[in-house]
Amino acid sequence: MSPVLQNPNSELYTSVRCGASAPPDPASAPPDPASDPPRWKKVLYERQPFPDNYVDRSFLEELRKNIYVRRYSYWAVVFESAMVIQQLCSVCSFSVVWWYMDQDLLSPQKLCGVGLAFALLGYLLFDAVDSGAGRKECGRTRWDDLKSSLVFIAFTYGFSPVLKTLTESISTDTIYAMSVLMLIGHLVFFDYGANAAVVSSTVSINMAIFASVCLASRLPRSLHAFTMVTFAIQIFALWPSLQRKLRAYTPRTYICVTFHFALFSVAGLLSISGVGAFLFFLLLTSVAFICPYYLIRLQLFKDNIHGPWDEAEIMEDLSRFLD
Amino acid sequence: MAIKIFFPTSCSAAENGLLIGRWLEEHRSAVILATLQFPFIPANVKEYLGQLEQVTGMSLSVLGTWSHSKAEADEKMENFLGELSRIFRHSPWLRMARESTSKFWDCRIERLEDGASEDVVLVYYDQMKVMLSELHSASEHSEIAAMFNTVAKNQLLFANDKYDEGPVKLTHWQSEGMEASIIVELMKQASVPVCAVLSFFVAVITAICSLRVLSGKPLSFLWNKLSTCEQLGKRLENLHVISRPEKAPDHPAFMRKASIVLSLLIDVVLGVVLMSWLYQGNRLGQLANALMPVADRVALELQGLLQWLMGAPAGLKMNRALDEVLGRFFMYHIHLWISYIRLMSPFIEVILWYIGLSACLGLSVALSILSDIIALLTFHIYCFYVYGARLYCLKMHGLSSLWRLFRGKKWNVLRQRVDSCSYDLDQLFLGTLLFTILLFLLPTTALYYLVFTLLRLIIIVVQGVIQMTIDLLSTVPFYALLLRLCRSYRLAAGVKFQMLEQKSGKPLRLLMQVNINPLPYGQVLETYRLPSRRCYPKDSWGSLCKKLFFGEVIYPWKQKKNKQQ
Repeated sequence: MSPVLQNPNSELYTSVRCGASAPPDPASAPPDPASDPPRWKKVLYERQPFPDNYVDRSFLEELRKNIYVRRYSYWAVVFESAMVIQQLCSVCSFSVVWWYMDQDLLSPQKLCGVGLAFALLGYLLFDAVDSGAGRKECGRTRWDDLKSSLVFIAFTYGFSPVLKTLTESISTDTIYAMSVLMLIGHLVFFDYGANAAVVSSTVSINMAIFASVCLASRLPRSLHAFTMVTFAIQIFALWPSLQRKLRAYTPRTYICVTFHFALFSVAGLLSISGVGAFLFFLLLTSVAFICPYYLIRLQLFKDNIHGPWDEAEIMEDLSRFLD
Repeated sequence: MAIKIFFPTSCSAAENGLLIGRWLEEHRSAVILATLQFPFIPANVKEYLGQLEQVTGMSLSVLGTWSHSKAEADEKMENFLGELSRIFRHSPWLRMARESTSKFWDCRIERLEDGASEDVVLVYYDQMKVMLSELHSASEHSEIAAMFNTVAKNQLLFANDKYDEGPVKLTHWQSEGMEASIIVELMKQASVPVCAVLSFFVAVITAICSLRVLSGKPLSFLWNKLSTCEQLGKRLENLHVISRPEKAPDHPAFMRKASIVLSLLIDVVLGVVLMSWLYQGNRLGQLANALMPVADRVALELQGLLQWLMGAPAGLKMNRALDEVLGRFFMYHIHLWISYIRLMSPFIEVILWYIGLSACLGLSVALSILSDIIALLTFHIYCFYVYGARLYCLKMHGLSSLWRLFRGKKWNVLRQRVDSCSYDLDQLFLGTLLFTILLFLLPTTALYYLVFTLLRLIIIVVQGVIQMTIDLLSTVPFYALLLRLCRSYRLAAGVKFQMLEQKSGKPLRLLMQVNINPLPYGQVLETYRLPSRRCYPKDSWGSLCKKLFFGEVIYPWKQKKNKQQ
């Protein structure tokens, strides 16, 4: 299901013809030297009785407007925005879980157990959704998965005492500011499916891990730090890849999961701060419903021109002519 | 172009005769070296000039006639001199005449190729000064250089005495016997056996040094590190240069040899003075007693510094655990060092006594031993510096490559640039975890590195000052400076002309002064500086700072030279 309907020749965005009333094609018609004045031709290989900067009236005939414009359908855009919602909710629930851990309201053993259960469930779902097609395609065996997870767990567990004392002498505010910056960076660089230069899933994941390590170093014991980093891996690295698969194969389930996830994170935030939960709810609503509407409205103001000309572009360094 | 005639001042009072000299065709000038008095047999004169040419390799000829009339012009003499031009067929043929009544000399030129009569410029020169002086800053083919060369090469001509009975009788500059004094002669005679003994001595030492046992792996490494060994090697090389029995081939080689001899002498004299000062009274014992407390005190100060670093120095955000580990490690080192010094302290006076003896080899050797002693006494600081630099270097390199991983890039070795790369999830996770840890531990390591680098730099500066003093002693050209001071004409930067008289129709008379323009002292130093074997730091301040920033170990400079080879 494609979110975008592309139809360049529709009635709404018709190509506009400017200039005089359809003169014959200058290249095909032979010039009549006896009666008419010589006709201008868009060629360089012939000598013509026109000045260099002459612009003929037929020049603008090939002007087109808005030929590459897309038509969006509202619900398709709302469906696309679910990815942004998911990511916002991930960050929110991560912060909520960290707050609970920091206040010692959530024991690391419990979080570890729940995380493990969810990870196993997700692992089974990951293969079940496309019945193993993706696994065959990228050629990863189960042994590879086991090895990766062992590496995660061993290194995180080994480094967790170091993590605990890592930022002792640095003030808490600095750590908070750094984590917030990193999480915002994670949201900015995340690969939502847009084709833009800033998108880099590597940087996005790295920033999230950095933020989680910073936050984990503030927790009271090393087991807390270990749990926190593991949870961060699950929610920032593993969960988006499962999401992508769900979205491709079972869109309905995906919408359902997104809705419940959003509900859960708003509820979690509500248990900490009512105002925060309300603001977060507003943010989610605006991202999911208001922004798509606004996007479609703005399409009406689009005014692009295309033509048979090249845009003037200075290719080489001309500074040597300056002096 | 006027024809120039260079005329020696010592010949201006000579009797009538022939002018002997050389015609410089490309500059159209004549250099007159001597006058030949009557009576003579023309065949003898030609034979004598031929003999001279065989020895000096420069052809001389009879350029013309010279008449010095005491009273009025003698008609007969004029005619006789005119006849001589048929015997000696040189073109052009000069006829110079001096009348005692007139200030101006008469000078005619016959048998010029183009036939036209030309102006004549007479230039008087001091033969001794021109012969002995070495002209600097003149191009190879200039007229003055050619003239100086002509005079200097015909030194043999001036060697025969005017009282000698020979086939020809010449008038020219003569030494007054100063140079040929008996002491100089004796020294010249003695120098040959002395040189032979010296070269035998040098050969024996060189043979010992090149034994395989001494140039083996562990020992040669040690020799490279000690500046004393380097200094001794340099002195040995100097001795080798000056003990060569053959004569110096040209002027720079001669100057170099003489300067080396003088600098060796000065060095040894200074060394002996130092030694006599040291062994007077109980100075050595006092020095030894003072040395130990200083070393002890340095160790204590270092301990205090480490304790300060192990706290929270200047409110810096240090990682407490790492700080403690590093601090304890360095403390243990200082503890080892102090016990080593305690162990050494009873023997230090004896060691100093034997080391002091080496001052008789020269002040520079004593100074390099001092530099080595400083290096040995501050070995703990060097160790700290190397540990700190290695740790810091490791961290910087790790951080820079992990920062690339953080951005999803990698260093492409084949293309020497940064490429983008897709990493696996576990690679990303591990990389970022390590990156975070290294980033937060960096300030601690950097502080330790900074403090020990500063200490190390102070020691390097002290050693550098000592090295520079040694270098100054062994590269300053004392002989050239002495010449410049006492015989300034020997090193001429150029010549100056002074106009004597001018009258139309008579030749212009100029006086050439060699010593008016002696070489400035700066240029003397620059020209005759002895080559120094020390290799200076080749990298600029910028690259040094870069090296310090990235934590590369700055070794003593000589190590780098070996690496480059």
